[in-house]
Amino acid sequence: MSINSILATWTGKSAYWFLHTFRGGGSSLPGKLALKLDPAILKHLARNYDVIVITGTNGKTLTTALTVKVLREQYPDILTNPSGSNMKQGIVTTFLTAPKAHQKPLAVLEVDEANVIMVTKYITPKAFVFTNIFRDQMDRYGEIYTTYQKILDGVALAPEATIIANGDLPLFNSKQLPNPILYYGFDYQPDGDEHAPANTDGLLCPNCQHILHYRSRTYSNMGKYFCPNCGFERPQLTYKLNALTAMTPTSSDFEINGQAMHLNIGGQYNIYNALAAYAVGRFMDVRPAKIAHALSDNDEQVFGRQEIFHVGDKDVTLILVKNPVGLNQVLQMISTDERPFSFAALLNANYADGIDTSWIWDGDFEQLPGLKVPAYISGGERYKDITFRLKVAGVPTDKLTIVPDLTNMTAEIQKLPTKQVYVVATYTAMLQLRKQLASQGIIDGGMA
Amino acid sequence: MTYTLKAAHLYGDLMNTYGDIGNILAMRYYAQAVDATIDVDLVSLDDTFDPKKYDFVLFGGGQDYEQTIVSKDLQTKKAALTDYIEAGGPFLAICGGFQMLGHYYIGAHGEKIAGIGALDHYTLSQDNNRFIGNITIKNAETGQTYYGFENHNGTTFLGEGERPLGEVEQGNGNNGQDKSEGVIYKNTFGSYFHGPILARNEALAKRILKLALQRKYPDADFSALDTLNEDLTKNVQVKP
Repeated sequence: MSINSILATWTGKSAYWFLHTFRGGGSSLPGKLALKLDPAILKHLARNYDVIVITGTNGKTLTTALTVKVLREQYPDILTNPSGSNMKQGIVTTFLTAPKAHQKPLAVLEVDEANVIMVTKYITPKAFVFTNIFRDQMDRYGEIYTTYQKILDGVALAPEATIIANGDLPLFNSKQLPNPILYYGFDYQPDGDEHAPANTDGLLCPNCQHILHYRSRTYSNMGKYFCPNCGFERPQLTYKLNALTAMTPTSSDFEINGQAMHLNIGGQYNIYNALAAYAVGRFMDVRPAKIAHALSDNDEQVFGRQEIFHVGDKDVTLILVKNPVGLNQVLQMISTDERPFSFAALLNANYADGIDTSWIWDGDFEQLPGLKVPAYISGGERYKDITFRLKVAGVPTDKLTIVPDLTNMTAEIQKLPTKQVYVVATYTAMLQLRKQLASQGIIDGGMA
Repeated sequence: MTYTLKAAHLYGDLMNTYGDIGNILAMRYYAQAVDATIDVDLVSLDDTFDPKKYDFVLFGGGQDYEQTIVSKDLQTKKAALTDYIEAGGPFLAICGGFQMLGHYYIGAHGEKIAGIGALDHYTLSQDNNRFIGNITIKNAETGQTYYGFENHNGTTFLGEGERPLGEVEQGNGNNGQDKSEGVIYKNTFGSYFHGPILARNEALAKRILKLALQRKYPDADFSALDTLNEDLTKNVQVKP
């Protein structure tokens, strides 16, 4: 242990103590200070840990939380980073502030795609989990191939770590890697032959550049893909979803490798997250029945991204959206609700939302008018764009209310004709709405 | 519907990176006002493009990798697309699609990638820079202002016989130097605008829609489009 790393650790811990005690927060500053004194501080801090790195575009946070739950069935000491602290400074802070661990503790880390290499420079993980890579706010992240390459640049420093990857995504089968790879995916539908919708990204066969077909498809460009031209196809799955028995907006029932599972959160995309957590659990020798137990637990803290609160007699579900694949999955999940519901879409275009709003046109809002939706709200700073999007999708004007100023949202929600209300919002629109709700005592302050 | 337009979405499965399909959705929305509809064919790799079959063509932008694949296949459609453009077929090309109608562009790794030279522009690349942000231009012919979002590394230089779609008022445009943005050549419109351009610019959407309708139905009256004015708030409750 060098003097630098001791000093850096002490400084970081002190900063955390100060911030935590007097300011009630502080997630990246302690890491930032420690990194200034010792850029290689992670090497020192994480030296005793077995580390599992979870990365990808969508589902990092929930996959990390579910993985921690699954592993806790068997391993008492698990360190994890809070949602949003997935870049270098946040990860350093996580280790700095870890409680003293016994024996060989585990760390399950959500890591931003571009920051994988910042971690592997100093830590050799035991495993990587690749959830998916989709188009995501391209003004910030770039193209899917670039994003995958960034991850692989980090993985190249740990060629012996096992990769646990979503086998339904063609991109994760596009490069030969020295690492052992285990794939998970959906395998419950009979084989057919279908195309993905035209406005889907990532449809080229990585071998021969023809358009991929699907024997069955889940969503976006994921499924049991194959290339009719060269025979490239989905790899063998080690962990399979072999039955999908029920889906509602708030739960899913399915089987993985024959083990029945109940998940207290809706959406097909969350089943992928559960599959990833299952795969890590099995990789770490947690028994299937224990994994099922961990996943069925109704833990509100884990499922915070799909927040439910009450405005008057309304049950409002607030969901963050940031890219077309995520949005379409949310719409799919909402469509499983058999009750009539109202729908609100709030669009901002600040840096954290993505300053380009073009992606809303790849969202399948066209399915909404066919559902039992008697009332719509469009709002946010870019209310003109989202209002026009809904009108083009066929939302009748007499069912639509425009709420440019989100401080009026609670009043408008109360006037809606249904008990069930779904609000999809971009990041800063969500923050503005939460601030409003907090000021009225409807929710606790702060970000979930 | 009384009138039906046939649109080709060129490489829609490979070149639809920023909601480009919204251009067709917006046109279809305005078309309702004159009792018209738009059917869309996906025309992609190994498909034949029949210039006589279509009333409108959309060619969007793609990711670098996809564009290199499209560039090769596009050569097989070069003659047919050139015929369509020269015959005055309405065409909207965005970002990569705009670049590929010209002579060539420079790819992400510095390689020169062939376009089809149907239009007389060419595209260079910038070192480690992209033009990203909101952009406003003014169309000289109509005085209309168009709003969009640009996100491109390429710098495009127009050739003889090409007019810009507009003069840059805010943002960078084709190359950040000559204030030009996009292109107009016959009934072909090119632009770096995402947004999508026709969803955010009603006047341009109606202009291109009317071109397509009048070309197919020369005796019909579509002047209703001239007075149509999309009022977002019409029949809608607004809580300011």
